[in-house]
Amino acid sequence: MNREEKFRALAGIEDRFIAESIRYAPEDAVCPSERIAHMKKKRLITFALAATLILSLGIAAYAAGFFSMNRRVPEKSETFRINWEENPSGYIDWSDAKLAVTFPETAESREIEFRPGWLPFTLPSTLAGSSPWENLDADTWFRRLTAEQLPLPGSPAFVPEYEGMSQPLLIESYSMSQFSNGGALLLLYFTPDEIIEEHWDEPDVDVMRFHCTQHFDAMPEHDLPERTLEQNILLLSNADAGWVIRICGEIGMDDLIRVAKNLEIRETGRVLTYDDFENHFCFFDGGVG
Amino acid sequence: MTHLEDSRIIDLFFARSEQAIEELDRKHGAAVRKTAANILADRRDVEECANDTYLGCWNEMPPQRPDPLISFVCRIARNLAVSRLRRETAAKRNAGFDLVLDELEDFLPSRVNVEADYETKELVSAVNRFLSGLDYDDRFLFVRRYWFADSVKDIADAMHSRENRVSVRLFRLRGKLRNMLKKEGFSV
Repeated sequence: MNREEKFRALAGIEDRFIAESIRYAPEDAVCPSERIAHMKKKRLITFALAATLILSLGIAAYAAGFFSMNRRVPEKSETFRINWEENPSGYIDWSDAKLAVTFPETAESREIEFRPGWLPFTLPSTLAGSSPWENLDADTWFRRLTAEQLPLPGSPAFVPEYEGMSQPLLIESYSMSQFSNGGALLLLYFTPDEIIEEHWDEPDVDVMRFHCTQHFDAMPEHDLPERTLEQNILLLSNADAGWVIRICGEIGMDDLIRVAKNLEIRETGRVLTYDDFENHFCFFDGGVG
Repeated sequence: MTHLEDSRIIDLFFARSEQAIEELDRKHGAAVRKTAANILADRRDVEECANDTYLGCWNEMPPQRPDPLISFVCRIARNLAVSRLRRETAAKRNAGFDLVLDELEDFLPSRVNVEADYETKELVSAVNRFLSGLDYDDRFLFVRRYWFADSVKDIADAMHSRENRVSVRLFRLRGKLRNMLKKEGFSV
């Protein structure tokens, strides 16, 4: 069946549905009897499920419905063409990705910038790699904020309790339109533990969050013991505006959530489409990507 | 401008009065042309399609007394527009129509043989059941996009919504229908 034949096949949609769609008039809509029965059954099931959840977990389930992030564990053989500056071509075909996160097809994303309302450290006067680079203060708006200088004893922004970390905190914004047509955010190295999906009303975002690890065997020849790197990752997405924010790092999940909840977000007025991006896969492991 | 009630227009068709076509065009002409224009690129093709639709109505009434009339005429316009496309080159196609066709690829089964009436009927019956289970907004979205082939922008304007929101809901609906068809044994 080709595409036009499929379109022809849909000619059989019932008259009542065509007639009610001539103009948008929700106030005149008649609820089909099938839906009334369906809704009664659904309400009953929903009630039973909600009661079970509340009783057993003591937590409120977030509003059922569309969740604007999908995830899957790719086959080991599946390859993704990702940006890789070290390669002469600037790209590499990566296989064995640990997780792929995809988003609704989005023609246009509204570019955003953010300003942290709370951080577990004092914002230093400069943060290399963040944008803008200079003259940081409480009024600076970012599209990317990285705190990788904070664990370095030689850095003017050194925070002693972060010594030994490679990335205490990274906040970065993305556009869903970048990932249309099969693109994705990928975890390349870290393996996630349990993934929690929820909706926050304030800010109004879908949230995916998890702890993840990367294990290294001991390398006696280099005098390196066995070790495991750990990261926490939060993805916030707003499907209406088409943006995604990643908040991740080695500070605990509780602090990351507090950072996320206090993030002030505003639109820049710029709209980004698929064609604005050369690269349609990004990796978002812990402190890199 | 006042329009005749549909039943009066049908009476005129039954009386073989040419005023029937004038009244039909006055009342439902915009919907007929919009249906055709979503599929055909050329304005003359759209106009011819509208005229052919009225001729089709003239031939069908009597004996038919369609209720509702509006879906009857739009259905004829849609079928004629698609038939016209099949005879013409792809260049005659409205550019936005290709996007709609691409999306259909995404969620309708590929192995249904359109010649096999039974399979097509089963598919359409499943789609109707799917629509019955949706709320009005979702049904409106689905029908406007995949039956009328409206652009996402037109749908968003009609619903006083944003294009992104409409795209997201359509994406969701395609996924829902795909899952339902899979459960019912269609190979999607």
